[in-house]
Amino acid sequence: MQAVELDHLSKTYPGGKRAVDQISLALKEGEVFGFLGPNGAGKTTTVKLLNGMLTPSEGSCRVLGFDPSKQPERAHAVSGVVTEHAQMYDHLTGLQNLLFYGSLFGVAPSECEKRAKSLLEQLELSRAGGQKLAAYSTGMRQRLSLARALIHQPQVLFLDEPTSGLDPESAQNVNRMIRRLAGERGVTVFLCTHQLRYAQEICTRYGLIDQGRLLAAGTLEELRARVSPGLTLSLQASRVPDSLPCRATGAGLFEMELHSEEEIPQIVRQIVGAGGSLYQVLAKRPSLEELYFALTAQQEGEGQ
Amino acid sequence: MNRAMAAIIQKDFKGVAANKRLFPSLLIVPLVLAVLFPAGFVALLFLLSEELGELEQLLALMPQAELAGGVERTMAALLLNHIMPVFFLIIPIMASSVMAASAFVGEKEKHTLETLLYCPLSLPQIFRAKVLAAFSLSMLVSLLSFGAMLLVVEIELYCFTGSLFTPGVSWPVILLLVAPAVSLIAVTLIVRGSAKAQSVEESQQGAVFLVLPLVLLVAGQFTGLLLINAWFLLGLGVVCVLIAWLLLKRALGRFHYETLLK
Repeated sequence: MQAVELDHLSKTYPGGKRAVDQISLALKEGEVFGFLGPNGAGKTTTVKLLNGMLTPSEGSCRVLGFDPSKQPERAHAVSGVVTEHAQMYDHLTGLQNLLFYGSLFGVAPSECEKRAKSLLEQLELSRAGGQKLAAYSTGMRQRLSLARALIHQPQVLFLDEPTSGLDPESAQNVNRMIRRLAGERGVTVFLCTHQLRYAQEICTRYGLIDQGRLLAAGTLEELRARVSPGLTLSLQASRVPDSLPCRATGAGLFEMELHSEEEIPQIVRQIVGAGGSLYQVLAKRPSLEELYFALTAQQEGEGQ
Repeated sequence: MNRAMAAIIQKDFKGVAANKRLFPSLLIVPLVLAVLFPAGFVALLFLLSEELGELEQLLALMPQAELAGGVERTMAALLLNHIMPVFFLIIPIMASSVMAASAFVGEKEKHTLETLLYCPLSLPQIFRAKVLAAFSLSMLVSLLSFGAMLLVVEIELYCFTGSLFTPGVSWPVILLLVAPAVSLIAVTLIVRGSAKAQSVEESQQGAVFLVLPLVLLVAGQFTGLLLINAWFLLGLGVVCVLIAWLLLKRALGRFHYETLLK
C-alpha cells in the first residue's frame, strides 16, 4: 500500500480559481517527498485536500488507505500536520499545549508527558516548555508546531514550509529530525516549500508544481535526465585547443556540455597535450533550482 | 463523552478564564443583575418604608396568596418572584454567548480552529464538545448567580425582618428549564453566525436578538399586560426547548470543514 496517493486530484474554488489541476502522485512509506513551487502554486490547497479540510472537485486522494474527504478522523489519526495557519493556544504553556493535543489523539497522560518532554528537548524548547505560548517567538512557535504534529507518533507527516521563520541552526536541527523520522521510523514526509535549496538537502523525491499543475515528479537524477541529461564542465585554463567545443565565459574561463563524466580525462589530456595550463576543472550538474526554472520555461513554451 | 471531548471542554473553560476581555463581562453582568439590583431594591424598600403607604391600596388588589405580611415583604416577594426571573435570564444568555463566541469564533480568529480540526475527532464530536462547554459554563454562572442572589437577599431580609425569604416556584422553572433552553438557543445562534463572523464581537451580535423578547416580557409585566408566573414560565421554557433542539439540529448540519475555515 502507498502511504499517500493522489489520483487526478483537482480543486476549483467557488470563485472559479483552479488551485489544483489533475495531480496524480504516489508516495512510498519512509519517503521524504518535496512538493515544490512558488507561493500560490497550489501546495497548501493540496495539503488541505489530503487532510480533508477541502473536498476535491475531481479525483481523489488517500492517506494510508483512508480517503480524507470520507474518513477525515481516520486520516487525521495517522498523520501530523504543520501549516502556517495551524496555531496553538497562547494562554497555555508549550508543554500544556502538547499535553492537550496528545489527549485529543488518545495518548495516555503519562506517556504523553514523556513524549512531550522528549520532543521539547529534541527541538531545543526544554526551557521554554513552561512558558506561555504568548511569549514565544515565531521560530519557537514553528518548532512547537512540529512537536505538536509528532506527539501521537504519526506515520505520515504533512509539513507546509516547516522552516520558515527559523534561524539556520534551528532549520538544520529540524532537517536532521525529519531525516531521522523517515530513516529510522519509516515516517512518510510530504514537505511543501518554495525554498528549493532547502528541499534539495532533505528530500528523496520531488514534485514540482506551478499554477496547480504538476510539472514533473521524480528523484533528482530522474528530473535531471528529463531536463538536462548531461553535465556542464567548467574550465580555467591558459588556452584550449580549437577542436574542443568550448565557449568562453570570461578571461581564461570556458564551459562545455558533456554526456558523461567519462569524457573529462580525455579533455584534460587534450588541453595539456596542446601546451595549455589547467588551473581548475569543475563538473556541474543542474541543481533543483535550475531544473525547476528549466521545467517552468518548458511548460510556458508548451503553453504558447 | 470521551476523554478528547472532555479535554476540549476543560481547555475552553481555561480559555475564557484567561481572557482579559471576556472574563470581566462574565463577572460584571451577574454581579449587577443578581446581587446589586435585588439587594439595592430590597434595601430601598425597607429604608424608605414610610413612603410605601400608598402602595397598600395597590397591594389590596393582589391575590391573597401573594401577600406576605407587610408592604415591604410583599413588595420584596413580588420583585424577587415575578420581576427578577425575567431579568435573571439575561445571565445565561450573556454567559453562553460569551463562551460560544470564544469557543467557536475566537478559535477561528486566533487560527487555532484549524489545528483542532486536524485531530482525530469527528466534526459532530467537536461541535458537541464546544456546545457542551458553552452550555455548562452558562449553567454554572447562572446557578452561582442565583446562589449569590439568594444569599445576599436572605441576609438582608433577615436583618430587616428577622425572617427568611422563600423563593417561589418560578425559580426552579427558570433554573432547570428556561435558562438551559435560552442558553442553548444563544449558543446555536452564535454557532450559526460563526461561519461568517470573523471576530468574537461580530458573532455576539446574534445573541442580542434574544435579549429583545426579554425586554418585551419585562415591559409586559410592568404595564400589566401579562403576569409572569410559574405556568407562563413553564410554557415559555417548553417552547424554548423545542426551538433550541430544532436550531441545534440545523446548526450541526451546517458544520463542514470548508465553511468553518473560510
